[in-house]
Amino acid sequence: MFVRVLRDFCRRTTTVPGGENVVNRLIHVTVPLEKNRDRRSFLASVPRKDEGTEGEKFVFIDSAITNFIFLRKEEMFPDINTPNMLFGGVKFSDVPICHIKSSRNNTILHVTKANGERIMIRSCGMEGFKNTRKGTNIAAQATAISLATRVLEFGIHTVRVTIQGLGPGRMSSIKGLTMGGLKIISVTDDTPISWNPLRSRKQRKL
Amino acid sequence: MKHLKFISRTVLVRNENVDEACRVLNRIMGSEGFLDQYRRTMFYEKPTQMRRRINYEKCKAIYDEDMKRKINFVLRKNRPEPFPGCY
Repeated sequence: MFVRVLRDFCRRTTTVPGGENVVNRLIHVTVPLEKNRDRRSFLASVPRKDEGTEGEKFVFIDSAITNFIFLRKEEMFPDINTPNMLFGGVKFSDVPICHIKSSRNNTILHVTKANGERIMIRSCGMEGFKNTRKGTNIAAQATAISLATRVLEFGIHTVRVTIQGLGPGRMSSIKGLTMGGLKIISVTDDTPISWNPLRSRKQRKL
Repeated sequence: MKHLKFISRTVLVRNENVDEACRVLNRIMGSEGFLDQYRRTMFYEKPTQMRRRINYEKCKAIYDEDMKRKINFVLRKNRPEPFPGCY
């Protein structure tokens, strides 16, 4: 409030012979005063750092699941009969798989048949994103869209998705696949997690 | 133990609601501690760091338990006198 009053005080309109009103500011006063405000608005406009795991911090699983409209809990999670369920005339276990590996610096999408035979592989680097731009959610989404359009030409319309890793492309690549026109029937997390791991690499120095 | 792929850690997508399915998957992974474990084992955790972390977690659990009890006590209903201390 005080800043605004002061700023209005500092602002003077002068009439130029041309007839236009020009706003003058006292540079010494206005700039430092507005610096804080500008930084705050800048920080507000910057998107929060994307860890790729939207919804992770929510705890109430059961209530979230019951919030689904027209959905029962049994329909959400696979059971014994799921591999034999039909999706567009194909058994669930025979539907092609899209493996997504999203690491810190890149996202690799890999479409295979159900037995693991490769159909197509695309990564953010192959898509023309280089260096740090590879490791962004935008790159992942663009890659996924282009992969989806290519895969559709092969006659594949439905896929199962497995995700590995917690990179920035974790969620956005799935979004890209749906935007590209693929129908996703299931989402699986395939992140390699061990509770008695080998000694991992040393910590990054920051 | 190896878990069956496409049975464990899997959410089926219904009504084209992929976003919601992903969110449920993340939520389950997060609350079961899978993602924490993954983040923790990405880099080697030195024994001192591990000790410090575990001590901190213990203290936090005790504090949380006590605080929860306190809050439940303050917010409890059906007390014999509805407004204690107010005459």
